[in-house]
Amino acid sequence: MDRSSNHPAYELLAAYSAGSLPLSQALCVSAHLEHCHSCTRQLQRLNRVGSELMQQLKPAKASNDLKNRLLDSLDSLTDEAPAEQPKRFDPSIPRCLHQFVDQGYAELPWKRVSTDIHSVELCRDNNGAKVELLKIRPGGSATTHTHLGDEYTVILEGSFSDESGLYKQGDFVVKDARDRHTPVATQDRECICLAVTEGPIQFTGFFSRLLNPLIRRGYA
Amino acid sequence: MTAMSNRQSSSEKLIALGACISRVAKERDKSAFAELFDHYAPQIRAYSLAREPGADLVADELVQEVMTRVWLKAEKYNASLANLNTWIFTLARNCRIDYLRRNGRYVSEIDPTDLFNDMEDEGPGPFQLAQQSRAEASIREGLRQLPREQSEVLTKVYLEGKSHQQASEELKLPLGTVKSRVRLALKKLEVLVER
Repeated sequence: MDRSSNHPAYELLAAYSAGSLPLSQALCVSAHLEHCHSCTRQLQRLNRVGSELMQQLKPAKASNDLKNRLLDSLDSLTDEAPAEQPKRFDPSIPRCLHQFVDQGYAELPWKRVSTDIHSVELCRDNNGAKVELLKIRPGGSATTHTHLGDEYTVILEGSFSDESGLYKQGDFVVKDARDRHTPVATQDRECICLAVTEGPIQFTGFFSRLLNPLIRRGYA
Repeated sequence: MTAMSNRQSSSEKLIALGACISRVAKERDKSAFAELFDHYAPQIRAYSLAREPGADLVADELVQEVMTRVWLKAEKYNASLANLNTWIFTLARNCRIDYLRRNGRYVSEIDPTDLFNDMEDEGPGPFQLAQQSRAEASIREGLRQLPREQSEVLTKVYLEGKSHQQASEELKLPLGTVKSRVRLALKKLEVLVER
């Protein structure tokens, strides 16, 4: 079996390491990393590439004024959130999702999509991508679907299979708009996934960017 | 200078800087902090200017953010996980993402804070320091030998902070070509882990 299909592609991890990946995709990569030792190792190496690239830049002198201001401020610095009581999170929930899920998956306002599927939207990214959790009942199927853009999925609990294979906890799956697939949850338990679906269209020009909110609204 | 003595001096420099960070962590030593500033502030400014040429105030602000974190998090720095240069890079990257978000250029509802934990509070990884510095020297050498079109995409993605999509628009290349050039470059640098 081709294990590489259950991990983010190298160039995607590189973009994550560079900090240039859209945050919605970074969320999926981050959720995957908590489960994947080899991608974590890969990331450490990619960070080194970033570090070496940074060191190759021609240094841009910093003023003494900046240095002195910083040195003067050191005594008054405190870590922003030291006293905050660390909340008890369900350890099975990836850390990057704590900002959306603080009490466990069961407490979320799930909405019924079909007999087999419930979903809850977590947020939108600035590129219009929709970030949601999907819950498929044991043995349930997500009807054959295609997407308008790429779809990124990370399995958080349970497992599912589709035409290309079996996916289990932590697996990272990318499907592009051409892929038609029918995911089916395994019989033993329900399957919960983090899913990021890209918006239909993304404008990046200055004037056309103003249209984006209108388009996004249409993409509900 | 030969490549060998170059490597020698940069690893000696790194050892000296490593001593500074531990003095900052253990003794709250401001002169050690000043040494770190002298070495890293110009790099951090260059990194910021690579994304926004001419934006000197933004660059100064990034220095301030990163060096503040260095002061506050020095204790958490773990030399067995990443060398100091790499740690500074990840801090600079994280601060840059925060900055862009705070200033509305990244109008995302996603808080990046917990997305890039890297090595801030995780236990030691599988890497040994000696192995690491060898890897760094070979990445450095590899970068020097990359074909221009491959180093160009790495620069876009890592230093200018461009998404693959933006890189493809700016370089007038198909998206797939951008991705495959990144992959080829990483392969040449011999940094890919077997899966």
